[in-house]
Amino acid sequence: MKADQGSSQPSVWRFRRRTDAPFWLNILIRLFAVALALVLVGVTLELSGLEPIALGKKALLQTLATSYGIQQTVILATPLIMTGLAVALGMKMRLWNIGTDGQLYLGAFAATAVGLFVQGPTWIMLVLMFMAGALGGILWIFIPALLRAYWNVNEIITTLLLNFVAVLLVSHFAIGPWRDTGAAILSATRRIPYELPAFGDSYLHIGIFIPVIIAALLAIMMRNTRWGYEVRVIGSNRGAAEFTGIPVLRHILLIMLLSGAIAGISGMIIIAGTSHRLSGTISNSYGYMGIIVAALANGSPLGVLISGVLLAILLNAGIVLQTSGLSVSAMLAINGVILIFAAVGEVATQYRLVREQIETRLKPDAGRLADDQAMQAGADAPEKEKTE
Amino acid sequence: MSSNLSDLSSRPDPCAGKSASPPNETDHPVFVEMSNIWKRFPGVIANQGVDLELRTREVHALLGENGAGKSTLMHILSGMYQPDAGVIRIDGQEVQFRSPADAITRGIGMVHQHFRLVEMLTAAENIHLGWNETPWHVTTAVLAERTRRLSEEFGLSVDPNAKIWQLSTGEQQRVEILRVLARGARVLILDEPTSVLTPREADELFRVARDLAASGRCVVLITHKLDEVLSVSDKVTVLRSGEVAAQFDTEDCDRQMLATKLIGQDFVSRFHRKERQPGKPVLEAHGVNALSDRGLQALRELDLTIHEGEILGIAGVAGNGQSELAQVISGLRPVQKGTVRIDGNDLTRKPPNSFVDAGVGHIPEDRHGMGLMSDLSVMDNSILREYKRPPIARGFQIDQAEINRFTRELVKRAEVKVSDLKSPVRHLSGGNQQRLLAGRETRVASRLLIAVHPTQGLDVGATEEVRKALMDHRNEGSAVLLISEDLDEILILSDRIVVMYCGQIVGEFDAGAAQRADIGLLMGGAKLSEVTA
Repeated sequence: MKADQGSSQPSVWRFRRRTDAPFWLNILIRLFAVALALVLVGVTLELSGLEPIALGKKALLQTLATSYGIQQTVILATPLIMTGLAVALGMKMRLWNIGTDGQLYLGAFAATAVGLFVQGPTWIMLVLMFMAGALGGILWIFIPALLRAYWNVNEIITTLLLNFVAVLLVSHFAIGPWRDTGAAILSATRRIPYELPAFGDSYLHIGIFIPVIIAALLAIMMRNTRWGYEVRVIGSNRGAAEFTGIPVLRHILLIMLLSGAIAGISGMIIIAGTSHRLSGTISNSYGYMGIIVAALANGSPLGVLISGVLLAILLNAGIVLQTSGLSVSAMLAINGVILIFAAVGEVATQYRLVREQIETRLKPDAGRLADDQAMQAGADAPEKEKTE
Repeated sequence: MSSNLSDLSSRPDPCAGKSASPPNETDHPVFVEMSNIWKRFPGVIANQGVDLELRTREVHALLGENGAGKSTLMHILSGMYQPDAGVIRIDGQEVQFRSPADAITRGIGMVHQHFRLVEMLTAAENIHLGWNETPWHVTTAVLAERTRRLSEEFGLSVDPNAKIWQLSTGEQQRVEILRVLARGARVLILDEPTSVLTPREADELFRVARDLAASGRCVVLITHKLDEVLSVSDKVTVLRSGEVAAQFDTEDCDRQMLATKLIGQDFVSRFHRKERQPGKPVLEAHGVNALSDRGLQALRELDLTIHEGEILGIAGVAGNGQSELAQVISGLRPVQKGTVRIDGNDLTRKPPNSFVDAGVGHIPEDRHGMGLMSDLSVMDNSILREYKRPPIARGFQIDQAEINRFTRELVKRAEVKVSDLKSPVRHLSGGNQQRLLAGRETRVASRLLIAVHPTQGLDVGATEEVRKALMDHRNEGSAVLLISEDLDEILILSDRIVVMYCGQIVGEFDAGAAQRADIGLLMGGAKLSEVTA
């Protein structure tokens, strides 16, 4: 058996998974993806007879260069980051909490109940409302969490379905028993007398710091505590967790409840910070947007801070552009295009394009086997980057 | 296509002994001819220059240990893999299969060890998946009727309307076989078919196999059980390390011959070891019963003792309870009955961390299944067993600086080649992963180290290092339990060897005096009395 190694071997381009993309490349690829999306949007607008450059300038100026625009962006970013964190926390254990919208509603509902029917000094009341918000979120995820942990029922379905129940429940109270009968408002509760302190005359309130604090706490917990370590072990390999005696089911339950609590708190922030009244429309799909935020950040708590703000800018720019002749549908389409490109960019960081030789029919011999083993041993050596 | 049931009477009872009919060249034309088949996978040659002829009207046994290349060879024949070199001829005509679909159109079908059935569909629907003569209008009644006919024709009873998940593994296997036969297979390959069957179901299967051969087909039986070979096959091909070690007419051979060919007679030089008397017992397992993942009895009244400063090797064909034994004595698998003691302390039904605290380390068989978290860093992987202990743990916190120091030390001692301790473990080569795992477990195994297939998939150098680490550990006075499918490894390292078969210890040898053939016989299911006789 002699190998005919002299024969020329054809080669092809192939995508290969990678995990070693450097930080700068990750950033560059994402920026490139978003830029590509903007070009596509721009060309489309140009062809439709609009002026993309002028529109873009206006959108940027009004969202990021005016005090009002910045305030709106921050206000909008707050719930997006909170629900993003709730989703990202579940992702650490490969759990998908799709029900953050419902938990947000229940958190808002519980906080409203406390705010409407309990009286006390503002600070104590705000703390009580905060706890009620967390509890409301926990309550809403408790059954899916139990089902997932002990009976292995898919949490995506259960949490998602409870969203609809939550909206209807809140609407029922807002339109029915708790309706503000004194005002001309048809579908909201009375104004809640306890409010998160605002900064001067701005719309900003101290609630905007809560997502930052929670993101930091989660990052520290994951990295520096035994509990966070156990969560990471379970997320990476459940077999290994069982191997070393980590109570996997209990962790599933706890992580899901914590995720629900974070989503619930975001409902409380909306009630006590911005809307001040409970209605069936306090969430503009923040829960679903949170999934996008978490996915763009790849589950990293600190990344969620960035992606949450970016999505808020995008949404606000959309609102601005609606005043310039673009329809709501066009805005949604533009946002969708940008997000799809960003998501593709995220996936693109995990692959590289390489030129490989095709294995032709060969006659193996001992020499080739030795080559193979040498290749295997060296497989972990970083390869040269050809392209992304 | 009709089965010839009248032939049954002329055949001897398959379970009684050898089959009688002498192979006659004109009656049994060569149907499949595989010549000089080579197949290699990264780091291993699965088949090297294998020649095989399959004739009609025969049951052909492919005998070999795990990893001998039996399944690979049949995967090549059934179109799952393409050979690196070699020629396959069917009825004298050269063929190249690009997929199992190509193979089945030429009459070759395989029933895999792990069934490929759609759980939510009925037996009839599964049997007719990919049926190329499906009529334009097809109803469940049509499928059920055809299934009933097939099942009658081949003597394989199946309820056509039962969903797969409702069926027992034996019934599922019958569905698999019918599916292959329904598509006109002339060669039926059965991969370790009895591993999922009860003895009664196995007898039934062998009867069907004989019938199929009698009706002009060829049945290939992949197995490592000597008795099965002797009772049902007409011909047997023994594979060892990817090569044909022997080919016999079954009537010309006996157990002893097969066992010798199966195991080989290569001389192995035993590892250098420090002479020492075994100390007091570390592990004492008594009368242990446990179930496998499938709920079958995996350990039966098992007794086992391991002493300080001793490597106890467990020889046996995979699936005879070795994995379950390792899990039971590290707290990973519930014990139904019996006791497990470490240093005299009863740890039966205690959680895994109690075993770690008692000084038991465990290198599990599949490092990606249980041993390592491939997405997490080398640091995170290093501390898996000790993150709850100071100095790494400080209250609820884990000390990153301490983890760094700990990992640096572990990596140095276990000689893991790694540049960045923060990089994910999957970036390490297989050898380095195993060194890390072995190093981590050896560290906690102050009393007993359980090593399951510790050198599987490693190259020669890494294998040697891992073996040396095990020997060093033994020389320092720990007990070591070595489970391996590689009999050479057992012979090289062990002080004492026991053979496991069907969840029991069926023989014990002093390693220096052990005869390979004796061990091989016990592994194949012989009784100790037959071996020593």
